[in-house]
Amino acid sequence: MNVMESEPRSQLLSTSRANPLIVSKGLTVGYDLFRERQRLTALTDINLTINRGEFIVLVGPSGCGKTTFINAISGLVKPWAGSITVNGKQVTGPGPDRAMVFQDYALMPWRTVESNVRMPFEFQNLGLSQEEMDERVRRYINLVDLTGFEKSLPHELSGGMKQRVGIARALVSEPDILLADEPFAAIDAMTREAMQSEMERFVAKTQQTVVFITHSIDEAIMLGDRVVVISYRPGRIKEVVDVNIPRPRFNEDVKTLPEYTRLRDHIWRLVKEEAIQSSRGGKR
Amino acid sequence: MSVSGEVKTVLSTDASDRITKTKWSFRELWRRYGAWGITAVNLTCFFLLWEAFVRMGFVNELFLPKASDMFAALWHGLTTSAPPGASVSGSIRDHLLFTLTNLGIGLAISCMLGIPAGLLMGGNKYVETILSPYIWALASVPRVALVPLFILLLGFTVKLQITIVVLSAIFPIIINAWAGVKTTDKSLLAAARVFGANRWELYTKVVFPFTLPFIIAGVQQGIGRGLVGVVIAEIFGGSSGLGYLIKRAADTFNSSLMYSVLFVLVVVSLGLVQATRWLESYVAPWRRIDSL
Repeated sequence: MNVMESEPRSQLLSTSRANPLIVSKGLTVGYDLFRERQRLTALTDINLTINRGEFIVLVGPSGCGKTTFINAISGLVKPWAGSITVNGKQVTGPGPDRAMVFQDYALMPWRTVESNVRMPFEFQNLGLSQEEMDERVRRYINLVDLTGFEKSLPHELSGGMKQRVGIARALVSEPDILLADEPFAAIDAMTREAMQSEMERFVAKTQQTVVFITHSIDEAIMLGDRVVVISYRPGRIKEVVDVNIPRPRFNEDVKTLPEYTRLRDHIWRLVKEEAIQSSRGGKR
Repeated sequence: MSVSGEVKTVLSTDASDRITKTKWSFRELWRRYGAWGITAVNLTCFFLLWEAFVRMGFVNELFLPKASDMFAALWHGLTTSAPPGASVSGSIRDHLLFTLTNLGIGLAISCMLGIPAGLLMGGNKYVETILSPYIWALASVPRVALVPLFILLLGFTVKLQITIVVLSAIFPIIINAWAGVKTTDKSLLAAARVFGANRWELYTKVVFPFTLPFIIAGVQQGIGRGLVGVVIAEIFGGSSGLGYLIKRAADTFNSSLMYSVLFVLVVVSLGLVQATRWLESYVAPWRRIDSL
């Protein structure tokens, strides 16, 4: 269909056939800047097919439209041109098949941990009984190791714990697609690495499709089946890099592999070119 | 799709080890209640110094009564009531009741009108554009300047007092509710939308809880201004209320009565403001400021 498609070759998916889940064709999205009387194109002509069970990482300079892309998948913003389909259906708004983890956690400060995790059940009817919902809330709070903190309010938790609430909230409806907008950016390095490794592990279990934004090239290589490098304004796909490192990747040796170093160097070069553009204010 | 039970948890530590009860100790008691002790000693010293200052004759008792005289007048005023059939009462209790009733009715009306008005202005661009010039004009005019107008319109009646209270208290309530809606965290709204909230749920489950502490802060400001309004209206005219009692005490050189009414006003105002602070920290513990 287009040049960007490639068969994911990670260990996780070696047995499954390509099974398109998210298809973006000629996607162009932008914003109206009211004060400047301008229409800003954030993303232009994005052609990308994401297969079921794939872990896609988006990297690119600040302001290149990565967030806009996952907002388009989630249905928070509408395309100006082109189309985006999930499971063959045009995205017209948010749905229970997609959930998001936010950089600033976006937890309701007046809700307890338990109530925040339960929130998706309040807004969307998944046809679950009360017992099933209770059980799931308990299970996912346990999964992110917050058992004992059910009645705590978000302001009483550390950054890492807050984001674990955010992850439990995104997982509780067991969506097909997990969207993550720099989820670990505000978390300290030690906790971040632990959470990345856990993320790899539970995504391997749930077989969820993940679209993950990061500024960290290491994070991108450690987590992604494919790394999509997006160029500076307007955002275009610059290159899609396959990561052929076997999973699980979280052990000491991975970062010394020649393949790891090669990928890191390659992606770094791609991102750097764009970062220079962005620091010049986008003038080419 | 489901996650099986044996998935290991992130950063495993046993939750039961992480929360332990602290033991009571003198340190702990002092940390909790020390501020109350300091305040009690502080205020006692203040009133003793005041008493000594007047007793030593530094100031004419016509202008500053002895603290003990003020407390005597306060006690008398709060424990006695006007005899049935009296045209004008000299009891603080009667006047306090009158003032508080008007303040209460006025604040209730301010909340009933102001909160929905502020929420609507925050939520709807057209309501905001249409109402905002009037709100800003009325909010910025000194309310005292309106008292003579309302005396002409309403006379020295209860309606006058209540109208002044409403005019004083409603604008901080409207403006705070409005600002609360406008400043609702965008990512909370995005999160609620992603998880399927419709427009109504966005307002009831995100915007309103977010705005609630703002509304309470508005009510808190409204109480202070409403009290100013009601006392001014009473000083202007009429024959009831704490404002009237202050004016009459001043006219009759009854300084201990005057000071005891001022004391009552301070206590009432502080009490009401403190009550709203408690309410705020109860409904919005994440905004609690420990040092205030």
